[in-house]
Amino acid sequence: MNKFDDQATKSLLDKNLITENQYQEITAYRNLNIFSLNAELKFFLYLSVLLFTSGIGILIYKNIDSIGHIALLSILLIIIAVCFYYCFKNSKGFQKTETVFESPFLEYLVLAANILTCIFIGYLQFQYKPFGTHYDLATLIPTIVSFFCAYYFDNKSVLTIAITGLAAYIGLSVTPQDLLHNDFYSNPTLSYSAIILGGLLILYTIYSLRVNLKTHFNIIYLTFALHLISIASISNLVDDYSHDSIWMLFGVVLGASSYYFYKVSHDIKAISLYVFMIIYTYIGLNIFLFRIFQFIDFSDVWMLFILALPAYFIGSIILFIKLIKKFNKETAK
Amino acid sequence: MIRHDKQLLNDLAFLDEANSLQNAGFISKDQKDLIKKQLPDFKHQKNILVRLGFFLLGSFLYSSICSAISLLGLSGEEFFFKICCYIFAVVGFAGAEFLANEKYYGHGLDDAFILGAIFNVGFAIGITTDGYELIIAVFMAIAAFVMYRRYLHLPSLLIFCLASSAVLFYGLFEFGAIGKTILPFVAMLFSAGFYFFTKKSIDNLNEHYYYNGLLLGNSFCLILFYLSCNYLVVRELSVMLLGNEVLPGKDIPFAYFFYAFTLIVPVLYLVQALKSKDRIMLWISFLAISFSIYTIRFYHSVLPIEVALTLGGVVLFSIAYFSIKKLKEKESGLTFKPDRINNSNALLNAEALIVASAFGMKPEVKTESPMEFGGGGFSGGGSDGSF
Repeated sequence: MNKFDDQATKSLLDKNLITENQYQEITAYRNLNIFSLNAELKFFLYLSVLLFTSGIGILIYKNIDSIGHIALLSILLIIIAVCFYYCFKNSKGFQKTETVFESPFLEYLVLAANILTCIFIGYLQFQYKPFGTHYDLATLIPTIVSFFCAYYFDNKSVLTIAITGLAAYIGLSVTPQDLLHNDFYSNPTLSYSAIILGGLLILYTIYSLRVNLKTHFNIIYLTFALHLISIASISNLVDDYSHDSIWMLFGVVLGASSYYFYKVSHDIKAISLYVFMIIYTYIGLNIFLFRIFQFIDFSDVWMLFILALPAYFIGSIILFIKLIKKFNKETAK
Repeated sequence: MIRHDKQLLNDLAFLDEANSLQNAGFISKDQKDLIKKQLPDFKHQKNILVRLGFFLLGSFLYSSICSAISLLGLSGEEFFFKICCYIFAVVGFAGAEFLANEKYYGHGLDDAFILGAIFNVGFAIGITTDGYELIIAVFMAIAAFVMYRRYLHLPSLLIFCLASSAVLFYGLFEFGAIGKTILPFVAMLFSAGFYFFTKKSIDNLNEHYYYNGLLLGNSFCLILFYLSCNYLVVRELSVMLLGNEVLPGKDIPFAYFFYAFTLIVPVLYLVQALKSKDRIMLWISFLAISFSIYTIRFYHSVLPIEVALTLGGVVLFSIAYFSIKKLKEKESGLTFKPDRINNSNALLNAEALIVASAFGMKPEVKTESPMEFGGGGFSGGGSDGSF
C-alpha cells in the first residue's frame, strides 16, 4: 500500500475535513490489507472467452471441408447448449432495470454462447444455405439472438454486437476500427441510412426512458448514434462532387445532432458524449469555414492567414475550457 | 526546482484522496464538495479524454505559432533552417513556463508544450549533428529530466527513461562488436541496479509528489530487465546488429541462459507481485508471461494457431475459475472482493469496446467464393456476417 494515501487521510483529519469516526473506519479498512484480484480475474475470464471463440472460429474456417460438417455442427451446438443451459439456470430472468448477477461467470458465458451462436448460424448459412440467397437474413437472425441475450441477461458487450449486427443489416460497418472506412463518398444512400439509423437509435432511447426499460443501455445507443450521424455528415461536408448545395443540408443535420447531444450529455452526465460532440462540431465548423473561404482569393492574404492562426487556436482553446468548465459545474449538482 | 506551488501539489493529493474516499463510500458527496471548495486547485483534467482533446488543441496552437515564426524567418533560408528547431524548442519552454505560471498541471495544454519542447530539442540536435544518435539521446534525456523536475510531468519522465536507455545502447555501440555482444548483460545489470535504487528512494521518500515519478522509473526498470535478456529480443537484435545469421540446427551463444531467463523471470515477477501486493508488477508479470509464450511460439510452434487459441482459452478459463472459487470467501489480504478504495474497473469498462472491435458484424459481401471471408482473419466471430 502507498504510505502517502494514509498520510493524506491523516492530514484531512487534521484539517477537520473528515471526522474522527470516519478516519477510524478508513484506517480499519486499510489495515485489512486488501489486495483485490477482482478486475484481473474477470479480465482473464473475458480474455479466455475471446481466445476460445477466436480459436473455434479459425478452426471452423480452416477445416470447413475436412472434418465432417455434421460432427462440427453438433459439437458447436452442444457447447452452445451447455453455455445457455448454465446461463438460464443461474440468471434471475428478465428484469427491466440494471441487474447484477451473483455468479461472476455468467456474464462471460453469455458472451461466449452468443458469439458461438453467431458463428454457428454463419457456418450453417455457408454450408447449407438455409436462408438461400437472403444473406441479410443470416445477419438479421444473429442480431435478433444478440438483442434477446443482451436484454435478458443484461449484458452490454452482447448489446454492442447486436447493434453492429443491426447496422450490418442495412449495410454499414460500425465496429470502432471500421467506422471511418464506410464508403460514404461513392454511395450517398449509405449516408442517409447512417443518419436514419442514428436517428432511430435516438428515438429508441427516448422511448426506453419513457417505459423505463434498461435505461442504462442508453449511453451505448447514444454513443453509436453520435458517431454514426457525425461521421456521415462530416464525410458529406467534405464531399465536393455531390450536388451543389447538398452539403449544406448535412451541415444542418450535424448542427441539429450536436444540439441534441449537447442537451442529452448533460442529462445523463456523460462526458464522453460531450467531448466527442464538441470535437465533431469543431471539425464540422472548420470545414464549413474552409468552404466559405474557398470563394475568397487567397494568393494575397495567405501570410496574414498563417499569422492569424495562433490567435484562432487560442480563441478555440479558451472556448473549450469554458465549455468543459460549464459542463463540470452543471453535472456536479 | 519545482515550478509549481508546493501547497497546491499537497492539496492535489488531498483532493485525490477525498475523491477516492468518496468513491469508496467512506465520506459523502457533500463532504467531498466541501473539501473541494476549501482547497485551492490546479487547472487540472482528470478525464483522460478531455486531456487528450486539450493536448491536440495545444499541439495545434504550438504548431501554428511555429509556422507563423517560420513565415517571418523564411528570408533567412538556409541559416533559418539550421536554427529553426532551437527556436521552436524555446517557444515550447516559454509556453510550458507560462502555463505553469497560470497553474496548469496535467491539463493537456501543458503536455503539448512540454513534449513539443523536448522533441524539438531532439530535432535541433539532430540537424546540427547530422543525426548522431548518441548525442541526440543525451540531449533529449537532459531536456526531459529538466522538464520532469521543473513541472513534475510524468510523460517527460517516460521519455527520459527511454532516452537514457538509448544513451546506454548507443554508448555501447561505440565500442564496436564487443559492446554489441555484452549489450544484453549490461542492460540487465543497469536496470537491476536502478530498480533497487528507485525502490530504496521510494521507501525513504518524504515528498509525495515524487512518488508517481519514482514508481514510473521503477516499473520501467522491471520491463527493461525482462526485455534485456528475453530470448526473442536478444536473438533478433544479434541478427540485426551483429549480422549473425542463426543457421538451422545452431543457436545463439548462451542460448540456454536466455531461454531460462525468459521462462523464470515472469514467474518470479508474478510471485513477488502477489507477495508484496504490487499491482503494477502484477500487470507487468502478465504481460511478460504472454510475451514469453509468444517468444516460445515464435521459434517452436508446436500447435497450429487455432488449437493453441482454443486450448489457451480453456486453460485461462480454468485458471480464473479455480482462483475465483478459492478467493471468493476471503475478507482480507488476497481476495476476489472488489477493493473499495483502489479499484481498477477502468479496464472492465473497456470490455464492450473490445468486443465490438473483435466480434462486431460487418455487412455481408455478396460473393460465392469460399475464400472471401470479409471480416475473418483473426477474429473468428467477425466473419459470421460475411458469408
